[in-house]
Amino acid sequence: MESGRRRGLGLVMAAMPDGEPDAGPRLHDLEALLDAAADYEIINLDAEGNIASWNAGAQALLGYAAAEVLGKPVSLFYTDEEQAAGAAEAELRKAEETGRLESEGWRVRKDGQRFWASVITAPIHGQDGSITGYARVTRDISDRHQADVMFRGLLESAPDAIVIAAPDGRIELVNRQAERLFGYSREQLTGQDVEILVPPRFRQRHPRHRDEFFSAARARPMGAGLELSGIRRDGTEFPVEISLSPLETDRGPRAVAAIRDATERREQQQRLRRQRDEIMELSTPVIQLWDKVLALPIIGTLDSARAARLTEGLLEKIAEHQAEVIILDVSGVPTIDTQVAQHLLRTVQAATLMGAASIMSGVRPETAQAIVHLGIDLGRLRTRNTLRDALQLALLMVHERAGVAASAVATVTAGGQT
Amino acid sequence: MTGVVPIMQVGDTLLVSLQGDLDDATVIAVEEQLTREVARRGATGTLIDVSGLAVVDSFIARALARVVGMIRLLGSEAAIVGMRPAVAITLVELGVPMGKLDTALNAEQGMALLRRLRSDGSRRLD
Repeated sequence: MESGRRRGLGLVMAAMPDGEPDAGPRLHDLEALLDAAADYEIINLDAEGNIASWNAGAQALLGYAAAEVLGKPVSLFYTDEEQAAGAAEAELRKAEETGRLESEGWRVRKDGQRFWASVITAPIHGQDGSITGYARVTRDISDRHQADVMFRGLLESAPDAIVIAAPDGRIELVNRQAERLFGYSREQLTGQDVEILVPPRFRQRHPRHRDEFFSAARARPMGAGLELSGIRRDGTEFPVEISLSPLETDRGPRAVAAIRDATERREQQQRLRRQRDEIMELSTPVIQLWDKVLALPIIGTLDSARAARLTEGLLEKIAEHQAEVIILDVSGVPTIDTQVAQHLLRTVQAATLMGAASIMSGVRPETAQAIVHLGIDLGRLRTRNTLRDALQLALLMVHERAGVAASAVATVTAGGQT
Repeated sequence: MTGVVPIMQVGDTLLVSLQGDLDDATVIAVEEQLTREVARRGATGTLIDVSGLAVVDSFIARALARVVGMIRLLGSEAAIVGMRPAVAITLVELGVPMGKLDTALNAEQGMALLRRLRSDGSRRLD
């Protein structure tokens, strides 16, 4: 132990600049410092990777006394598989190339127990620049590793696809469900911009939304009220629902996006909407009574939503059938108040703007009384008592118009020829 | 002097077709061009086809009503034809007063309408 310590410090001393005054006391301080770092294994290796120094932390961590390990290869603490694969030697070579290597891995104690270690390896250069050995600091991070394993387990067992991204949009972590959902492998996604999962037409806008999230990070659904889409590797788009949560890490804030395939849900919604439209359609039927004559029997109370729907449906039909006259039959409307009358008048106005004339039929005595008492002005709107009378008038109007139209066309054709 | 919109003449009737997005300046120019042409050619009727307009705001609607008024002052009849359902709804919602306008579904019916207007002035069928 004593000799080990001296040897190790010898190396540290060799790495220190020459001509340092009062080197003795400072070395002593360093020696105390190394042993005080009880949680850290701080050792020196020689150029061949054999153990050259050993501290108290190393003994506590691995269970070996200095005398047992000095001069032995550092691979002694590696697992059998890693020893067979030459992992220890590979790490030293890598440290030599990059100047410093941070790695994690299993280490084996003297009693055979394993722990997860975080290891920093740095080469020590002699005065001529050649490698004279390595400094290595090892720490037991089994607890953190355990937490990490649990975090990953949680990530993988989540039903949703999860993508964790940094503020600059780089994907840092994805789970298996994300791989499956988007058709990329983990390696293909990690380090990419998160925008590769966003359909191209939204890509340009996405970074701004990303910035907004990080500027006021809180858990929220993405694009509230919007129908979001994702894009797979094969270019197909699909509807998604995304909830975002902020995650504070050692490396700064991160965004966790839980992504769910919403294809089925979206289809259900559409089916629902279609059904609702059909019901609306059924409640406001437009009937073609005759060539160029449409009838709209209004049954039940007329509220704003229904009136708007009714007007819309009627105008579409006018355009479709090129109808010249429409009959609004109100015999099925229980009461006509100011509001209902307004709705009817608007419908008539819109139809007139398109060039169709309107006739109202089915006005009951009490309705007539109400309309006059309320002072509702129906303007130029023609009315007939029954649908039959209304149709008669409509046919007369169409006939007269057709007669005029025929002679007009004849005149125009004749005029064009002369 | 080139016109803003093409004006077709069929017999003694002018047919002008408005298309696409009309900005305010264009609407004013159409107004000028149309009244000038009606006076110059002595047309007895004008059809303004708006089937090419997907959007009509209150400004354009008022301009339409205005130009119809001007044409009537020139002793000619005018009618708006081919208004789309959505446009009709919008105009009613906006409350643009267009009640005095004569309208028809298409150019053919518009021709008939003009003829009717010319022959029996105030006694209109619709």
